[in-house]
Amino acid sequence: MKSVRHLLEYCFFRIVLFLCDTLPYRFTCAVARGAANVWWLFDRKRRIVGRDNILRAGIESDPKQATALAKKASHNMAIVIVESLRSTDFLGDDNVDDHLTLKIAPDVQAVLEDPDQSLIITSGHYGNWEVAGHWVSRYKPVAGITRAMNNPLIERVVKKRKSRYRFRPIPKHDGNTGRFLEVLDNNEILALLFDQHAGDYGMMIDFFGIPAATFKTAAMLHLVTRTPLCFVSCRRTGPMKFEITASPLIKQPRSGNKNTDLEGILNSLNRDLESAIREDPSQYLWGHRRWRD
Amino acid sequence: MSEQSKESHVLEQLKGILEESSTVEPDWDSFGPATAIESLGLDSLTILDLLYDIEEVTGIHLEAKQVLNITTIGEIVSLLIEKGA
Repeated sequence: MKSVRHLLEYCFFRIVLFLCDTLPYRFTCAVARGAANVWWLFDRKRRIVGRDNILRAGIESDPKQATALAKKASHNMAIVIVESLRSTDFLGDDNVDDHLTLKIAPDVQAVLEDPDQSLIITSGHYGNWEVAGHWVSRYKPVAGITRAMNNPLIERVVKKRKSRYRFRPIPKHDGNTGRFLEVLDNNEILALLFDQHAGDYGMMIDFFGIPAATFKTAAMLHLVTRTPLCFVSCRRTGPMKFEITASPLIKQPRSGNKNTDLEGILNSLNRDLESAIREDPSQYLWGHRRWRD
Repeated sequence: MSEQSKESHVLEQLKGILEESSTVEPDWDSFGPATAIESLGLDSLTILDLLYDIEEVTGIHLEAKQVLNITTIGEIVSLLIEKGA
């Protein structure tokens, strides 16, 4: 029964993929927004979480405005999927400059161009992080944690598409340090999204002024392996147009107190993410329960 | 310092670090070279914390990849002695 369901889902996915690849971009985005509207209608829980997060962050003070912004953010997530599926079309060698504006700190650029240097890139669910991953893979192979699809047939297609741009997924359940160290050992780029609720292995760090359990993996890897670490964001500025910003490398001298060092790094990362979000709050994934009291 | 006393000195240092950072309450009386890393509640992520603490206390930088492949405290002790502890 399960395999029949998987097969049906796979057929539907292939049709969506075909339409996404062939239909005009703007039309595909309109369809994606329509699908997000349907989702918005039925997923009451996410609606409330999104609105409450926006209010708590102080982005909006009026609940109606917050709800409208949360809905816009759900459209953004739908567009992220369309853009990610089509990113190989517009991030080819010839036309990349037409689509990307780059604001890369010189020290990050130097690391990217050094074949003997690995790099840890952190980002949040803001703008289109997949496009940022695609762009950075022009310099060296990128590995990052991805949640595997429940359907193995769809998972195979997604993996194949991602491998087109030198991205190696590390399954979420297999995100152990050994896999990360292998990436750094090969002088590749390790890309980690750090803005989800971290649970027990997190550290409470202010995010929009409210403590949130923040993943410390990237910071610990930086402190222990001395691999350069930076924050990258990718904001949509128009249809298929993006601004990629890489903040200068984080330079946190070891103080001898692990928690102080971690706090310094994680505060800096959260601040960078907050600044990026404030530029366009509608491009952030507000539907995630980052704060759990 | 003889090899044996060097080993027990490093072992004591490690015990001190682990008493601070261990997430479980192991039987410290039987703590020794044969103690399994796993029994101390350390996983691949908390090993990074341990490496930070080791470097702070001993001044010795251990390669994370090397440490991830070891299974007992005795192996860490040997690595540290090898590196001049």
